[in-house]
Amino acid sequence: MKGTAIAAWKRLTAILHRRRLERDLDEEVAFHLAMREADYAREGLAPDSARDAARRRFGNVTHVKEQTHDMWTFAGFENLRQDARFAGRTLRKSPGFAIVAIAALAVGIGGNTAIFSMVDAMRTRAMPYAHSDRLVELWGNVMRAQVERRGASYPDFLDWRAQSKSFDDMAAFDGVTLTVVGAGGAGVNDEPERIQVEFVSAPYFSLLGVSPSVGRTFRADEDDVAKPVRVVILSDGLWKRRFGSDPGIVGRTVTLTPRTSPAARPEPYTVVGLMPPGFAGLTDAAELWVPFALYGPPQAVMNRGNHGFAALARLKPGVTLAAAQVEMDGISRQLERAYPDTNEKRAVELSPLDVELVGPLRGSLLTLLAAVGFVLAIACANVANLLIARSEARRREIAVRTALGAGRGRLMRQMITESCVLTMIGAGVGLVLARGAVATLLAQSPVTFPSFVAPGLDLRVAGFTILVSLVCGILVGIAPGLQARDLDLNPALKESGRGSDSRRSQRLRSGLVVVEVALAVVLLVGAGLMIRSVRNLIALDPGFDADSVLTLRVSIPRMAPTPSISAPAAVPQAGSPPPPVVEGRVLLDRLRTVPGITAASLATDLPLDGNANAGFYAAEGMPPVTAQNVPRAYIHRISREFFSTLRIPIVHGRSFTQAESVPGSPVVIVSERVTKRFWAGQDPIGKRIKFGPVQSDEPWLSIVGVVGEVKYRGLPDNPTADPDIYLPFADRSLQVGLVVRSSVPPASIAAPVRAAIRGLDPSIPIYSVASLESLVAGQTSQSRFTMWLMGVFAAVALSLAVIGIYGVMSYLVTQRTREIGIRLALGADGRDILRLVVGNGVRLIVAGIVIGVAAAFALQRLVESLLFGVTAADGASAGAVALLAVVALLACYVPALRATRVDPLKALRYE
Amino acid sequence: MGDAKEPVFLPGTLDMLILKTLARGPLHGYAIAQFIQQASDEVLKVEEGALYPALHRLEVRGLLKAEWGSSDNNRRAKFYRLTAGGRRELEHESAFWNRVAAAVTRVMQTT
Repeated sequence: MKGTAIAAWKRLTAILHRRRLERDLDEEVAFHLAMREADYAREGLAPDSARDAARRRFGNVTHVKEQTHDMWTFAGFENLRQDARFAGRTLRKSPGFAIVAIAALAVGIGGNTAIFSMVDAMRTRAMPYAHSDRLVELWGNVMRAQVERRGASYPDFLDWRAQSKSFDDMAAFDGVTLTVVGAGGAGVNDEPERIQVEFVSAPYFSLLGVSPSVGRTFRADEDDVAKPVRVVILSDGLWKRRFGSDPGIVGRTVTLTPRTSPAARPEPYTVVGLMPPGFAGLTDAAELWVPFALYGPPQAVMNRGNHGFAALARLKPGVTLAAAQVEMDGISRQLERAYPDTNEKRAVELSPLDVELVGPLRGSLLTLLAAVGFVLAIACANVANLLIARSEARRREIAVRTALGAGRGRLMRQMITESCVLTMIGAGVGLVLARGAVATLLAQSPVTFPSFVAPGLDLRVAGFTILVSLVCGILVGIAPGLQARDLDLNPALKESGRGSDSRRSQRLRSGLVVVEVALAVVLLVGAGLMIRSVRNLIALDPGFDADSVLTLRVSIPRMAPTPSISAPAAVPQAGSPPPPVVEGRVLLDRLRTVPGITAASLATDLPLDGNANAGFYAAEGMPPVTAQNVPRAYIHRISREFFSTLRIPIVHGRSFTQAESVPGSPVVIVSERVTKRFWAGQDPIGKRIKFGPVQSDEPWLSIVGVVGEVKYRGLPDNPTADPDIYLPFADRSLQVGLVVRSSVPPASIAAPVRAAIRGLDPSIPIYSVASLESLVAGQTSQSRFTMWLMGVFAAVALSLAVIGIYGVMSYLVTQRTREIGIRLALGADGRDILRLVVGNGVRLIVAGIVIGVAAAFALQRLVESLLFGVTAADGASAGAVALLAVVALLACYVPALRATRVDPLKALRYE
Repeated sequence: MGDAKEPVFLPGTLDMLILKTLARGPLHGYAIAQFIQQASDEVLKVEEGALYPALHRLEVRGLLKAEWGSSDNNRRAKFYRLTAGGRRELEHESAFWNRVAAAVTRVMQTT
């Protein structure tokens, strides 16, 4: 065993030292001959005859050298070298063929490499977390008309963690935005700033396998909701940006405005640790971490009915996802029995972390990988066709080689080596293309990739490319190889140059054309579906008018409590929070004076901004409800111009009046679904609803208006079918979304809007500035990304297929020149010839289309999740097929036209 | 069968003879051929056509190590030396040979 290894190693190194090996061997043999010659001379031979005798005694010097040399080489390696060198020479002799073939392969292989590198960058193990393949997210869900994801409540989470045995550990986490205000100290940025914060329970960091670069992570006792400790961990970026990379950061304080607190007064938090550079938590954007115990007021956090975050857990080694799911199902049932009020129909959904982070994206990319694989298959079919044509032209060469003793296996190997040389060069060019393509793709992509997805041309990708090109080389080389193997020597040697194509190779080439057409059909249908999907998505009416609307969020601070003696009038009642520095009304009035702004409104959350909150409600006089159909709605507090600013239609009644825009107004506006459910066919104005169950002591609210349904929380549709309920905005919440409609492009008014708000109060942080159109576009980004690439691939596929058809048809015409000449001489006219040649092509195209359409229908299932409102059976596919048919016919028609111009006299002398 | 006077070459024994020859110390290829011929009283003749492939094969297998040195007449020559592996191989081969030779002799002496 060891000996074999030594030998293999020596042979390997010998490859690198070929020249030295050969020189040494020459010298060694020369020495031997000289010694023998000297011996013969000593025995009395004349110098000349001594040399001759020595050589005679030695035998065939070259042969011995070759044999000796062979001891150093791997069997077959030398043959490969020779074949490759021969292949290189043949390719140089026909550069036109080489360029076409290499270009087709480079596009195919390059495309595959590019998409593969992106898929590969999203593999589970690429996630920058320890044991990332065992990390899962746990989502509380509820069974209503369908299963809806709601997240966990903290008491449920504590029970999951305490009762389950499938996990190493479990941590609650949620990402929110908070305002960090002046940190104090020299060289420190004091501007209030909105930053991404993650509320996490203590095991979060160890689950992700990240340790602080300075200080510590959270302790288990800091998870106690009853005794919250105000501590934080900073990201490296925040530390550098706001704290000037202070080496003594641990122990310093950071001032944060809490998420939900009636006072909403900034509070000091003590820094206990610093995360290493690059770590941004599972939200991929976090700059600060706070113990989960501070997620909200203790009574809210400990409310079992308050759902809204996911839990992160790591499966114990050897525990499967399914087994853990079974355990969690059991725990859910137990909790359902113990807490029927809050946990009826509630369960837990386990989902691998990578599925949560990149799942949908990976789905799109795998589809694209399949698509680009088809492109490569078409490219290979083209090259195979070219090679077959060439091997026909090389029959004589091959026949001569066979006659001289080349074995059939040897010939096959030579053909495959030739095609592998082609595909390898194609792969080399393809790698360069892929490099550029990936960079462009990432830069132009409407989809934001997670930061850990950093596709590059690493060893794995290079390995993939080499593997793909070898497989292609072998597949492509087999056809001409078979051709060469089955060559009948006698006629081939006798033939004067061009012979008639063998029936078998004609069938093979026609088959390849059919395959090309079929693959192109599948890609065109796929691209057609994606294009139609995206069109449907874009044409979708979201229920509001996103055109020329700018959205932004502000966080309005409250005034510092003023001593009661100095200004008694301004002092609010005991227990109620101090007033905001700027009232919403004042803010809106100021904004309306900005030139270009035609309307302005505010709301606690805006369409598609991801801040929506839902609650249960009850309608007066409704029949008893169960956990499955208890009315649930998304609640928005809005200023009275909200509907007119967003152009949401008011179906009945009116918007709020100025007088109603105060805290505690008993009025409400609902979306149509509410009235349709409870008061279908009746006048909804004046009907009453309340929050919570019917018997709760929440006040009844009278409906004053009914508005159209809005795609408030997602496109193409809201994740759940719950309606929307609008209440008057009354300066209660200070995290405010602003919408302004302008007569100029929204981007151009962002700066004046900022200036206007700063002018009112410079301490108001402004964030999430975006046009509403860009929020709408963000909802369709993945579809557009897929559509865009599918379109490119389909276009490439179509061109390659057309080149293939054209090539084969031209070749066929050349092959049949003599036959066509005879037909013409016998009286056939141009139309007959045209029909003959085009008919030939049409048969192939029709066969390809039929197979392609069937395959497209079969494959449709795989892309269903990427589609919206289309099926392969609709017009898009027909259009795609028609496009292909027209272009393919054109590719037949041009050679056919040439056939009609054949001069019968020349044609008959053709051979 | 060859003429009794003509030097013979016994197939399959060359590797063993080379190893045995080198057990006495490093030698170049020509000297190995000469030694085998002389030590066998000119009965065994080493074909150069077989000698060099065999030497290189043994070198690749790690049984010999080759070094360039200078010969008696001060020419640069490639000297082969037995490695530890080569020594083991020699023991193995000579044991095998002794067994086979003794067996052949026994068969031939049986009347």
